[in-house]
Amino acid sequence: MNEMSNMSSGYSGNRTSRGAADPNSLISRKLRDFYDNVREERIPDRFIDLLEKLDKAEKASKPATRSKGE
Amino acid sequence: MKPAEPENSNFKRELLATLPNLRAFAISLAGRHDKADDLVQDTIMKAWGKQESFEEGTNIKAWVFTILRNEFYSQMRKRGREVQDSDGYFTDSMAVHPGQQGNLDMQDFKKALEKLPDDQREAIILVGASGFSYEETAEICGCAVGTIKSRVSRARINLKELLGVSGEADYGPDAATASVTTRAFVG
Repeated sequence: MNEMSNMSSGYSGNRTSRGAADPNSLISRKLRDFYDNVREERIPDRFIDLLEKLDKAEKASKPATRSKGE
Repeated sequence: MKPAEPENSNFKRELLATLPNLRAFAISLAGRHDKADDLVQDTIMKAWGKQESFEEGTNIKAWVFTILRNEFYSQMRKRGREVQDSDGYFTDSMAVHPGQQGNLDMQDFKKALEKLPDDQREAIILVGASGFSYEETAEICGCAVGTIKSRVSRARINLKELLGVSGEADYGPDAATASVTTRAFVG
């Protein structure tokens, strides 16, 4: 039916589960809520440290890559 | 005479930028925060090791997601599922997740999500939450676009059924919430 048109209007309008949200937009919204809750968390320090270490190790292992051709 | 532009620092930055999304995907796959973060860590190492195979200017997010997904399934194959279908394995561990406590609605949703077959869950997450197209998702999962489309639609049907919102009625989730709320008052 008019599921497609409901998708967008349902998303912005229905903040509560009580409204006339059609099941598809309800699922879409829940899915994004679930995902965004994690996505908005701070990145754990362990990952930032790890990347820092990998980057440093790589630079240390090949210090003069640039001057190769010159 | 440009100052040295350290290539791997670029790579580092780009990789870093994908991490929030990557963690959300990892949790969708692995269910638990601790497992998911181990998976993300392994993925960072893997990605770093094969950064030569990443073509700059292409979609790094899809590239890292593919690595994480492969890593997840290969670890699962190696270990077998340690925590298999034990009730609430997804939800209990995630219940400690700050900011979502008391959100009974969300607990119900997670429980339903947990019950989906892995292939359906990843498909609906990638398309419906991570923001990938069907084509990109098919590439990440190594299957045909049509397969992804049918997995997503089956996932939707299953979720609606599990949440009791498959029909016209919209009181499904409310009814579930109401029963838990009542229990909370009694207990």
